[in-house]
Amino acid sequence: MNMEAARSPIHRLTANIRLFYEGAYLSYVALFTWFAPWTYLASKVIMPLGQILFFTYLGTYATGPASADFYVIGNAVQLAAISGVYGVTMSIGGDRWSGTLPYLFGAPANRLTIFVGRAAIHVVDGMIGVAFGLAWGALLLGLDLSRTDPLALTLTIVVTAFSTSGLGLMLGSLSLITVNVMFVNNLIYFMLLIFSGSNLDLTKLPAIMQAVSQGIPLTRGIASARLIIAGGSLAEVTPLLMQEVGIGLIYALVGYAMFRWFEIQAKRRGTLEVV
Amino acid sequence: MGATVDEPRSSEGRSTPWLANLRVVATTCEMALKHAATDSFIIFAVFVQPLIIALLGLYMLRERGGDYAIFVVVGSGLTGLWSSLLFVSGGALNQERWSGTLESLVGMPTSLEVVVFGKNLAYVTQSLGSMVLAYALASLLFGTPLHVAQPLLFLASIILTTVSFVCLGLLLAPMFVANPDIRNFVNALEYPMYILAGFLFPIALLPGWTTPLSYVLAPYWAAEALHAASTGTAALNNMALDWGMLLVLGAAYVLIGRWLFRVFLRKARQDATLDFF
Repeated sequence: MNMEAARSPIHRLTANIRLFYEGAYLSYVALFTWFAPWTYLASKVIMPLGQILFFTYLGTYATGPASADFYVIGNAVQLAAISGVYGVTMSIGGDRWSGTLPYLFGAPANRLTIFVGRAAIHVVDGMIGVAFGLAWGALLLGLDLSRTDPLALTLTIVVTAFSTSGLGLMLGSLSLITVNVMFVNNLIYFMLLIFSGSNLDLTKLPAIMQAVSQGIPLTRGIASARLIIAGGSLAEVTPLLMQEVGIGLIYALVGYAMFRWFEIQAKRRGTLEVV
Repeated sequence: MGATVDEPRSSEGRSTPWLANLRVVATTCEMALKHAATDSFIIFAVFVQPLIIALLGLYMLRERGGDYAIFVVVGSGLTGLWSSLLFVSGGALNQERWSGTLESLVGMPTSLEVVVFGKNLAYVTQSLGSMVLAYALASLLFGTPLHVAQPLLFLASIILTTVSFVCLGLLLAPMFVANPDIRNFVNALEYPMYILAGFLFPIALLPGWTTPLSYVLAPYWAAEALHAASTGTAALNNMALDWGMLLVLGAAYVLIGRWLFRVFLRKARQDATLDFF
């Protein structure tokens, strides 16, 4: 009987919770330097503002000032993907570049706890990013939040940050077997600008592009946010949010399956840090 | 007298012969192009991202009709030029620093500006390919008839745009290498240029106080000239102003860049921090 099995269920649960929080905290502090004020300001405040301004001006140039809210909301919610895609992916892939992957895979710690813990703090960070985006929209571009149900909007932001982190978990697993992780991240982030509906009316896109839109995170989160800010209720967007959660879960589970499979294959073949 | 390894660098007072400098520019340019061809980050910044922006622009602006397609092709190509300059040229010296080759470059008798000029020339020239790709995308995917209305003016504008962007790169490189805070800020600088230079929409949409900022940016004058020549709205006096501003601003960037290079190299030698970052 090994030591893990000898421990009581409560002890194991406590250990896993501690592992989850330590992993979440360290993945943020150790693998990023976002607590450095300039870096955080550039990546999480100024760059998002630039994105919102650029696409809102481009959109209003195309369709008139009345459509500004469409682009402001779309791009503000899309900001969840900065944390979800880049943050989560780099948290998982960072172990490989830091040379800590052998220790991670050599530890007896619960893999699911480690895996999910990598994403947890980025869900929170993604929510903050969306809040910043909406605040920029309200302050600079006249976004009217007066008819918004704050609880429904908060829930939408939580769900969207979660679903984009699910995508990030899958991409993070991919980063264990490719050196082109930034290429993949950048590609996915920019493809989301097209397919999530943040900048385009999805109903006017070709059928195949609409089909892709329905299979990715963000699409329903952005649609929900637009409905809620226009005065819609939580009940109206609940089906969309449920689907968004489901999509996030699917991506996270696929990511976890890949993570486990890569670990098993790497140990079997002795290719732990080999591309 | 020809330059020898014992002579001081040109940035500190003496000039290496023009022919030797040209050879260095050509060699650096060739090396940079070879490097860029295998670097997925550069491939993304130069080719993929402008294509995605072109696709977005084509969908978003098609309701405007008129010459929207060629406008988007030119504008998205310019975004590729700027992103390439910002991320690739701006980080070129840091790349040398990380590779441990910056000391060798600084120790050469050739001026460091000449090396950076060669690198910038490679990246900016390569980025022009993004315009060609956007052109192909608009033609194939959208079936939009595309033609450049005033090809000779367009060609002259492209040449002057390339020169001014290379000069702007000479300004960026020492700033990025000397100051880590600016380097960390690089992600935040991409969209502001797209906005202030009017790559995909006129700056008249922006608040009036931003206009002077646009006027000191060579990319703004490049966008003015290229959009006008491609859509056939170029008047000769306006075009002369655009070209003149590209040359004047390009010269100003070179002068400021040379001064920054001198400051950076002097400080790095005094503090022995050339390979610190």
